[in-house]
Amino acid sequence: MGVTILSQFFLDNKTGPQTIEVLSKRIAALGAVQQGHFLVDCETYTSVPQLGHQRTVHVLHNSEQPATVFSLLDNGTKITSLATDGLFDLLMMKMSHFYTSKKQTKVESKGLRYEIGDFCVKLGTVTVSSNCKGILVEVEYRPCVVPAMCWDLMKEFLQGFLGTAAPTNPPAYLQNKMQDIYFPIDTIHQYLDHFTMLRKKLFIS
Amino acid sequence: MSYSVNISVEAPTENQIQEITYDGTEIYQPPLTLSESLAKYAQKIDFSKTSEVEIKKEESNEDSKSDTDSKDAFQSSLWPWDSVRNKLRNTLQEVCVLADVLAIAKDKRYLVLDPVQQEPLETKPMVQIYARKKALAGAASVLLAGSEKMKNSQNEAARSRTTLDFHIELLRLRQNWRLKKVSNTIIGDLSYRTTGSKYLQTGTFEVTKAEDEEKVTSPPSSPLPGGPAPVKPTSALRVSIPSELQGVAYIEVLCQKDQEDLCTANLTLLGSGPPPSNPDMHWQQKLEAAQNVLFCKELFNQLAKEAVQLQAPIPHMVVGNQIMATVLPGIQLIIALRHSTSSDKKQQNPPPSKSDHDHVLEHSLHQLLREVHHKNTHHPFPHPATGPLGPSKKRMLAGPTAADRYELLEMTKTQTLLEQIVQQAQHFIMRMRTEYVLDTIAKEVKDPLITSHWNTLNSPTQSCVKIHISTHGYDAVCRTPLIIHVGEKSLKCICRDGKVMNMSYEPQELRDLIFCHINQHQILAVQALAKTMGWQALGNSNHLGTGTVEPLGNASSCLLSSPTGDRIIAVRCEPSDTQVSVAHSPRQDFFPSRLVTERKWEHLGGQFRDVRLDKMEGRNFLHKMELLMASLTSSS
Repeated sequence: MGVTILSQFFLDNKTGPQTIEVLSKRIAALGAVQQGHFLVDCETYTSVPQLGHQRTVHVLHNSEQPATVFSLLDNGTKITSLATDGLFDLLMMKMSHFYTSKKQTKVESKGLRYEIGDFCVKLGTVTVSSNCKGILVEVEYRPCVVPAMCWDLMKEFLQGFLGTAAPTNPPAYLQNKMQDIYFPIDTIHQYLDHFTMLRKKLFIS
Repeated sequence: MSYSVNISVEAPTENQIQEITYDGTEIYQPPLTLSESLAKYAQKIDFSKTSEVEIKKEESNEDSKSDTDSKDAFQSSLWPWDSVRNKLRNTLQEVCVLADVLAIAKDKRYLVLDPVQQEPLETKPMVQIYARKKALAGAASVLLAGSEKMKNSQNEAARSRTTLDFHIELLRLRQNWRLKKVSNTIIGDLSYRTTGSKYLQTGTFEVTKAEDEEKVTSPPSSPLPGGPAPVKPTSALRVSIPSELQGVAYIEVLCQKDQEDLCTANLTLLGSGPPPSNPDMHWQQKLEAAQNVLFCKELFNQLAKEAVQLQAPIPHMVVGNQIMATVLPGIQLIIALRHSTSSDKKQQNPPPSKSDHDHVLEHSLHQLLREVHHKNTHHPFPHPATGPLGPSKKRMLAGPTAADRYELLEMTKTQTLLEQIVQQAQHFIMRMRTEYVLDTIAKEVKDPLITSHWNTLNSPTQSCVKIHISTHGYDAVCRTPLIIHVGEKSLKCICRDGKVMNMSYEPQELRDLIFCHINQHQILAVQALAKTMGWQALGNSNHLGTGTVEPLGNASSCLLSSPTGDRIIAVRCEPSDTQVSVAHSPRQDFFPSRLVTERKWEHLGGQFRDVRLDKMEGRNFLHKMELLMASLTSSS
């Protein structure tokens, strides 16, 4: 368990697979070793009108924590997060009368997982109903659990293979909890932020 | 006959009683069928006597045709109602005749009816009395016979009060064992299934009532040692145990080194050696012995299964009733199941247990399987009603705490019984070796005293010993503490200065380390002593690079000077011996030579001369050194 930074990456006039290829070449040149695949998926459920004020539940799975189901309840003003075990999926199926999901809202990011020293790098292609929507690069620094203590190191590492596209500031979600201990749910929050952004982009374009 | 009365005839609601037994049970006749009862009633019709002769005549005619008796004559005839028809016809004839006679008599012209004098009925009262008397005597004899029988059985029960009632015994049995009734037999279960065992072999036994034999006459010949209950004279209850659970079983654990026993442990649940297995044994002991056999079998079965499955660097061997696992190089752990049935018990008596009988390994094996049983039935709380049973508490929390895949992989690793017992055996041997090394060093080395304190609290795979090196009489001046953690295959020594030394299972390494520390202790003690005497320590070295090469480690040395600086003592400590040399600062044997002419050079110090410590007075090295320093100080 360590600190994870998630950032979007895109290259002009290159398709998704081409960008991934460029990035994996760069990371392999740094000496990273490929260690299998990863998958983060997100399904969104909305409450039926009978329940009154509309609420949204995002259910996410991360292959890094295979026994856990993350869920984020968004009631417009506040996001409540919950980490549960696998039975939560079955519970959501039972609640299909109150929370319904639209199949085309399912977002997932999947790709290859690399390890390089203390860092773990994941290059994910974000797809919404099998349409590629963008590239997400996840970098985890495993020995540290406080973001403020390793942010500079991670920024430098990101610049090492993302170049100028690397983020200069910590992700918005992490900015006011840089001194706190990092938990896996924080990664999920970052994923959700990016997924929502990429979904909106879909509607714009 | 002149008048008629209406008689209604109907069958009684219940069947006729055929017989009443002594205990009051009534045996009923089977009900007649409709046609049978009709035939019966037709038979009962009382035709006049006069016609009987004719019927008899007819029947005798029929008898000549078929050889049946008169009772079932109508059945054998062509038509079952034949006789009835005949009777009715005869009756009709008679009635017709009677009617004719009556009609004629009515006119009183041709016929007159006269009353006939009837003979009085002769009654014999004495005959009646005799008949009644006889009947009453018969009834009385039946009642008397019955009461006699009951009295006898009552006396019988009172006489055999010493043998316990079967039902009381059964109640006692039920308080301790699981019983159930299957049709007419009582089946008991002595397996550990209810406490979480998953062993397939059943442990059923049957409970029967013991017959009254000559057992009553034979008193208990020898009281059983340490029996839980006082020995009953006889038991009304008999338990029969399947043949594979009979006899005595125990698990033997041996640590063997080159065919030489290092330790041995015998596991018996009863604890008091093999219990006698005579057939007259009390059922409680019999069942306990059988349960012990079952437990040992399950334990051995489990261990054998694991021994085959485990991928050890040196594979475990399972031969017959014996498992052999290599604990440390050259040392084998042998676990054997010894099961002797009652017939060949005498020959298979185990050899008298060795002096180093280890109860810890015996207990551990026992405990490990019980733990497995316990885990099978006791699931960690809280668990959701809809969740699966079985995963550990840690695994249950893995979801909500978002454990990553490495942690989950770690959780799947479990230790088998065999691995655990091998680890415990390894630790046992390590502990024994450490004890042996420390004891022999303490015996060999007299000068600095070596004391070792074993912690009383330890786990089956880890223990700790604290060693003090000190000199008798000089404990306050200097003492060297050492702590040694004894693990499964390694030793960890924490030295006086905080250095941590990791050692393998070879006892020689520990021996070398202790000797090295003895040398250092001597040098440090001498310096501490010198400080109290006002001497100055000029320098010391724990690992001296000069001098003869030691077989192990390095020599340590130090240099001391007297308060006035005119005497110098050099001490060199090595495992083999200790050398002490003395030098005088204004050297007494200074003679000007051609190279060194001036007198001032005598202050440089002279040649070191060896002190023969063995000729000196003093209890030990430090005492001698104190005397030496004292004498050198006073002479100046």
